[in-house]
Amino acid sequence: MRISDNGTDREMTAAELATYATEQEMAQTELAKENAAKLAKQVARQAVLDKLGLTANEAAALFG
Amino acid sequence: MANEQTSVPLYAAAQVLTAANMNISAGTGVPVFATTVTRDAAFGGANEKVLAEGQLCYLSASNIVQYYDGAAWATVGPAAAASNPGLVCVKAETAFTASATVSADSVFTGTYTNYLIKVIYTTSSTAGLRFKLRAGGTATSTNYNRQDLDAADTTVSASRTASTTSLFIGYDTNGDFKSSIDINIFAPQLAQATLVQGFNDAMFRGASTTPLFFVQSGNQSSSTQFDGFQLAPDSGTTTGTYTCYGYSKAV
Repeated sequence: MRISDNGTDREMTAAELATYATEQEMAQTELAKENAAKLAKQVARQAVLDKLGLTANEAAALFG
Repeated sequence: MANEQTSVPLYAAAQVLTAANMNISAGTGVPVFATTVTRDAAFGGANEKVLAEGQLCYLSASNIVQYYDGAAWATVGPAAAASNPGLVCVKAETAFTASATVSADSVFTGTYTNYLIKVIYTTSSTAGLRFKLRAGGTATSTNYNRQDLDAADTTVSASRTASTTSLFIGYDTNGDFKSSIDINIFAPQLAQATLVQGFNDAMFRGASTTPLFFVQSGNQSSSTQFDGFQLAPDSGTTTGTYTCYGYSKAV
């Protein structure tokens, strides 16, 4: 795994690899959470559209 | 008396000097005046030289040398000091290639309050770029908060996240599709919250025909003095360049 360290491209040290792994884990967890939130929003939006009997394109044309 | 000379005379020992001879030395050379007012008052009076083209002077109040062109005074030099540029490059353009992490330290100093980072990048996968602030060579992974606005074709969406470990700053390109991010950072060196604005123009998911507009405003809310930053894709690697500028604080 490579790092650009202040302009120097090199392999990560063991410590940097460990930090990277931790940070990746945190990022992936957050990403999953954000995606879940987005999905929930989409589901809620679709539920409203279904109630109104509108497609997404029709809703966009109506509401901008 | 005109300033044009027809000779540069040398006098011989015991030679009788006339007023005309003496005026060559009295009326030439570079007189020194305090100001333009005293300069203008020094010519044309009784027993004073009539101002004529080619006259030089030095003004001590403004430390400049001037010449008279027959109609007005003009400054020879020194040239007026250049005004401060608005942006000063504090970190030269730096390339990174297939990097899992890109870090830059000792970039933010007390010299400038606010900074601009210009990034051109690609990502190797469908994972976007995240931004962190660094202090003393270590990235900070707490207290990031952001508000996003995305536009993809006719779909505009917004979201807010709080207390995260980084700021999402750029969408993925999933290949060699050059994309850009402008990152404005406000007061990273002050012991207060650091404000971060990102403006991302991404060739999203590997297609130049699907540009994606993404802006985010956010902050790192700790009272930490940061001196650097870090970019890292959620997975895979990133390739590109970054350049960092300080915003000038004086005119």
